Amino acid sequence: MGNKPDVTFRKTDKKDLPLFAEWLLQKGVLVGFPMSDKKEVEDAVRLWNYYIDKGLSITALYKNKPAGAANLYLHDVEKMSHQALFVIIVDEKLRGKGIGTLLLKEIMRLGKKRGVELLHLEVYDKNPAVRLYKRLGFKQFGRHARYLKDDQGNYYDKLVMQMEI
Amino acid sequence: MIPDQSEYDIRYTKMDDLPFLHKWLAIDENRLWYPVSSDTDVENMSKNWIGFYKYGASLTATYKGDIAGIATLFLMPYRKVIHHCLMYFIVNPEMRRKGVGTSLVKNVTHLGKSYFRFEWINVEVWDGCPATSILERCGYKEVIRQPKYIKKKDGTYLDRLLLQADLKEEANGK
Repeated sequence: MGNKPDVTFRKTDKKDLPLFAEWLLQKGVLVGFPMSDKKEVEDAVRLWNYYIDKGLSITALYKNKPAGAANLYLHDVEKMSHQALFVIIVDEKLRGKGIGTLLLKEIMRLGKKRGVELLHLEVYDKNPAVRLYKRLGFKQFGRHARYLKDDQGNYYDKLVMQMEI
Repeated sequence: MIPDQSEYDIRYTKMDDLPFLHKWLAIDENRLWYPVSSDTDVENMSKNWIGFYKYGASLTATYKGDIAGIATLFLMPYRKVIHHCLMYFIVNPEMRRKGVGTSLVKNVTHLGKSYFRFEWINVEVWDGCPATSILERCGYKEVIRQPKYIKKKDGTYLDRLLLQADLKEEANGK
């Protein structure tokens, strides 16, 4: 009784950003993302600053250390502000502990609080996270064939999923 | 159709075209069909849009020296996605229903295929957008429909349609 949970959450601090880049650059992770190398990852992570300033980014702590993060890309355009895309990244070394699921539930809570009615996501073919998204109620509404093309010329489809929250 | 074809031209977009793009996007009817609501959105989108002129990815139609429309390929920022792009186009409200939109879409699609070597081009429209018929005429087909992407002021929703022109298949004669 009275044990503190292993996973807690806080608003993302800009000091967390180098960690996000580090997680994305872990072996095999970029297969599931549109970025290819360190420079592209750093460019992508830099975009998070905007959402951190707006309180739309959450960092998960595992035993008080950053273990994952989620970002809600809430639109400034009024007619699109009822829906939002989100992304989740978890430290490869801490996968399998349910951190991704907890982050997703946390981002849903944040979305609801900010007036989001529909959450949607983009995931690339063969990403095992698809199972998690389906289990939590996301429905696939499209498949964009050959969306990613890696340096070897291999294509990956993009699946797009959405749920009402 | 354009009354005097000899006065019609298509050239690369210049930074000087920005005020026209801004003015047309700010029109109430256009605000319905583009991803803008407020004046700030119009400002942001027009600046972002015109920026692609630097890469030779934007075409401007002129008629008798006046700007008649703009069509632009929004290039993708990462290597894994540079084989495709998103396209937007807009026509001067005073030059509608004269074939300017069709001419711009055909030309910019050709630019994407021949110069940028894109495998396909996407266009996003909201369900019911009057430009859809122009795009379909130019070979764009719906590939994804995202429900309730737009929420109108009256509380009703519009789907987002992603239309696509496949250029690689066409090039291969498939």
